[in-house]
Amino acid sequence: MVLEATMICIDNSEWMRNGDYSPSRFQAQADAVNLICGAKTQSNPENTVGVLTMAGKGVRVLVTPTSDLGKILACMHGLEIGGEMNLAAGIQVAQLALKHRQNKKQQQRIIVFAGSPIKHDKKSLEMIGRKLKKNSVALDIVNFGEDDEGKMEKLEALLAAVNNNDTSHIVHVSAGPNALSDVLMSTPIFTGDGEGGSGFAAAAAAAAAAGGVSGFEFGVDPNLDPELALALRVSMEEERARQEAAAKKAAEEASKQEKGGEEQSSSQEATMTEHASGGTSEADNKKNDLSDDDNALLQQALAMSMDEPASSHDLQDMEMPDVAADDPELALALQLSVQDSTKDSSSQTDMSKLLADQSFVSSILASLPGVDPNDPSVKEVLASMQSQSEKQDEDKATEEEEK
Amino acid sequence: MSAAESTTAIQRSQVDLLDFIDWSGVECLNQSSSHSLSNALKQGYREDEGLNLESDADEQLLIYVPFTQVIKLHAIVIKGSEEEGPKTVKLFTNKEHMGFSNVNDFPPSDTAVLSPDNLKGRPVVLKYVKFQNVRSLTIFIEDNQSDSETTKIQMIALYGSTVETTDMKGLKKIEEH
Repeated sequence: MVLEATMICIDNSEWMRNGDYSPSRFQAQADAVNLICGAKTQSNPENTVGVLTMAGKGVRVLVTPTSDLGKILACMHGLEIGGEMNLAAGIQVAQLALKHRQNKKQQQRIIVFAGSPIKHDKKSLEMIGRKLKKNSVALDIVNFGEDDEGKMEKLEALLAAVNNNDTSHIVHVSAGPNALSDVLMSTPIFTGDGEGGSGFAAAAAAAAAAGGVSGFEFGVDPNLDPELALALRVSMEEERARQEAAAKKAAEEASKQEKGGEEQSSSQEATMTEHASGGTSEADNKKNDLSDDDNALLQQALAMSMDEPASSHDLQDMEMPDVAADDPELALALQLSVQDSTKDSSSQTDMSKLLADQSFVSSILASLPGVDPNDPSVKEVLASMQSQSEKQDEDKATEEEEK
Repeated sequence: MSAAESTTAIQRSQVDLLDFIDWSGVECLNQSSSHSLSNALKQGYREDEGLNLESDADEQLLIYVPFTQVIKLHAIVIKGSEEEGPKTVKLFTNKEHMGFSNVNDFPPSDTAVLSPDNLKGRPVVLKYVKFQNVRSLTIFIEDNQSDSETTKIQMIALYGSTVETTDMKGLKKIEEH
């Protein structure tokens, strides 16, 4: 029942394609992550878990420590495998993420999945370990996958540097018939130093072992042990929810091409709110859009939610063309606000050119309910707008002449 | 002479603030598990010379002491051994949850460089104006006397007065008239 904030560092390097852990190293890791998140949240509802990836283009925080399991499960979808793992950077970013946790009373813990060779030397790992100990951060290491020379030594040295009173652990999982998650379940990483979480672990183990010893639903008598039965039922439901989300994602991928731009703006709004309600489906959308543009947008959105004001202007500009297409009045209002904030004259002229294009505007107006383009008042407005834009062009021309 | 003066100064108006420490919020970063903060702060433990607060991974320590009420801090006594006792001590008031990384971001309310005299028990008198309204105190021990790997502190005592208590005394005087 220890109140804890955990950051899980996932290895999504090229070495994770290997299938020696079924179905693939990466998938085994993902399953283990899901189970760990469940166990942590169950042992104490105020616990928070965050996830980051260490390989790929660089260390990337997928979700900051949260107690919302759905968010964590969702962010595990659509992860790409590639690149090399950067253990030192990963641990340091995890430490930073924990430092900025919302509830300062939570203990700090980092869980690292080390599946690929480690390029750092022992000394630097020891220094990192000491820094973690100094800031009272506990570290759990899961050593699996590649076993190249010195890797075990380095990890043991790192653990020795961090370990303070046996709060940090290391687990070696070798390839074999047992799934990674099953092996982890019996370790202190899962059981949380031998208290609370063990109930969940036992329940999950019973379910996984496909035990049907007695005639009861989960192999456990609800009368004898109601808590255990409840835990088993919850884990089954979570599994079902996950599979439903996967099925929904598959269905969405089919209709993804049709939606195009709308989905883009809706996913932006989804990522901008901190805890989006119905986060699973919208977050699925977010992960489905894998084109480069969207990745860049995603980075911006994530950066925004981490309070970096620099990227906000880009997002603002992106949204405007979508909205302008629907409502010329709104577009005018936006145009004015853009005038105030950025003083970007180029977008203005784009706007006014759009509006000046009479045929375009009249087609828009025709689509609006209750507006008759032949109405004299509407025609007046159109005429005035056109003259306004002409005047602006004239001003521009005179300005340029003066220069 | 000056030593005697400062000790009488303590007896006169100041009180050992041990009773006003909010023990549930006391934290210490980088302490060794066998030699913890209670050895230096708590009554009985701190008098015992065998029980020390010792640092763990390196020689720095960050101690956070919240109080149950607002106090004025007058002086601080830090006792330790001549070699491994602390040297540079920085004090911060009313800053919660500081870490080693942001300890250099704020100017300290006061800095004290301890001499061997101080380590024997001579109190360090602090800048009075900076410690008028203290809800919590953060003590950052930057290094020790001989730059050894760990810092050992035998006792930390805080002397000052509480804000409410002073008011009560004032009321009593009026009644006498």
